[in-house]
Amino acid sequence: MEDVQVVAMLVRRCIAGDSAAWEEIVQTYSRRIYNICYRFAGSGDDAQDLTQEVFIKMYRTLPSYDHTKGAFVTWVTTITRNLLVDHFRKGKQDRMTDSMDTSASDHEDAQPLSEQIPDQSAPPDAHVRSREVGETVHAALAKLSPELREAVILRDLQDMDYRDIATVLKVPEGTVKSRINRGRAELARLLQRTYRQVM
Amino acid sequence: MPDQISNGMRCNEFELLLTDAIDGVLTGVGLDRFQAHARICRTCGPLFAEAEAGRNWLKGLTEVEPPASLVTNILASTTGVDTQRLRATAGSLQPRISWWERVQATLFGSVLEPVWAAVRQPRFAMSFGMAFFALSVGLTVAGVKPADLREVSLRPAAIRHSYYNTQARVVRYYENIRIVYEVQARLREVKRNLAPAEPGLKQSRPAKPKDDKNDTTQQPEQKQERNYSQIDDHLILASAPLGPSPSVDDLPVVSVTTYRRFV
Repeated sequence: MEDVQVVAMLVRRCIAGDSAAWEEIVQTYSRRIYNICYRFAGSGDDAQDLTQEVFIKMYRTLPSYDHTKGAFVTWVTTITRNLLVDHFRKGKQDRMTDSMDTSASDHEDAQPLSEQIPDQSAPPDAHVRSREVGETVHAALAKLSPELREAVILRDLQDMDYRDIATVLKVPEGTVKSRINRGRAELARLLQRTYRQVM
Repeated sequence: MPDQISNGMRCNEFELLLTDAIDGVLTGVGLDRFQAHARICRTCGPLFAEAEAGRNWLKGLTEVEPPASLVTNILASTTGVDTQRLRATAGSLQPRISWWERVQATLFGSVLEPVWAAVRQPRFAMSFGMAFFALSVGLTVAGVKPADLREVSLRPAAIRHSYYNTQARVVRYYENIRIVYEVQARLREVKRNLAPAEPGLKQSRPAKPKDDKNDTTQQPEQKQERNYSQIDDHLILASAPLGPSPSVDDLPVVSVTTYRRFV
């Protein structure tokens, strides 16, 4: 995905004060970071603020990056993940988020996702239908616990391999796989319940 | 998850292979054992189906388009604020910068930039315009023309001369204010009434016998005149010649001009 030497040179130029190099880094990684933030935070405004914070933090800690210890994209994703976790803790959103650790009876009492999405009775065309499905999946993703959510986002939306995810999340690779499996299964259960109520 | 053995595979082992099976990297005998366990186990079978469905849902999500201003905002919030800090952190990797460039960066970065930012405010422009308008109207009303400024001499002597002229004009104006003059006159009057005698007058008089010390009628008129004139604010009296009393027609006509000092 990235040429290690090219990225290392880019980082060195950036540390030396080359603003063009920094702009290139921002252009290259802003889209990826924004998408991670959007899928994790749930709203576009929060994602934009968080993406800016990620780049500010990256700009400040850029001299600490060591290309021999790992890929730049893993380093960037680690910064993003840490900031998202901090943001989540500050917002105390974990009280409102369902977790896979809770029993099945808790999920029965949970608010159905159909109440969070617009009326799906008569979609005008396939594009609108697709957009609404995307919003439904996005809303279901927001209901996962942060641990499961970050694991499935990094794997299924960012296509990172298990080893890099383990580095970012600072957990063993087996734990990463377990969280991904539980996250996917939980998401499917939430969506099945939603569509069962809508239909 | 209960650790059951179905078809020679434990549920824990099944979960470990679940990601590989979904990713399509599980092949051969391992895949057969996995599928057999999924068919038999009541826990792992649904888990496999749900995990696969969940993955398909997530893969259906498209990438979100970030706002157009995102990159601009990021650059403004990073290079616009912390460039100097990053350069300081960079240390020896930083290219050499001449002293003149540093002076320029310091001057324009920390001194002139905030001032220029304030000047660029529309409010400041409006205030400046109003002040200029008021000044020009005031000068026009006062009769000052730009052509007059050409004749102004900026030599040190001329400036000093202008300064003293202006000062004298101000003092004269102040002294000629009616209330100032009246207050000063009252003060002089009060001082004169309170003073028991004039020390200068006592010293100038010669010693006299006790019997005629208050008799001033025999003193010559010239001396009295001189004494009166010693006090600034006394009127100068005209005197008639000594001798036999003349008639009214013989008296000379004397005109006296008094100059009042206001200080």
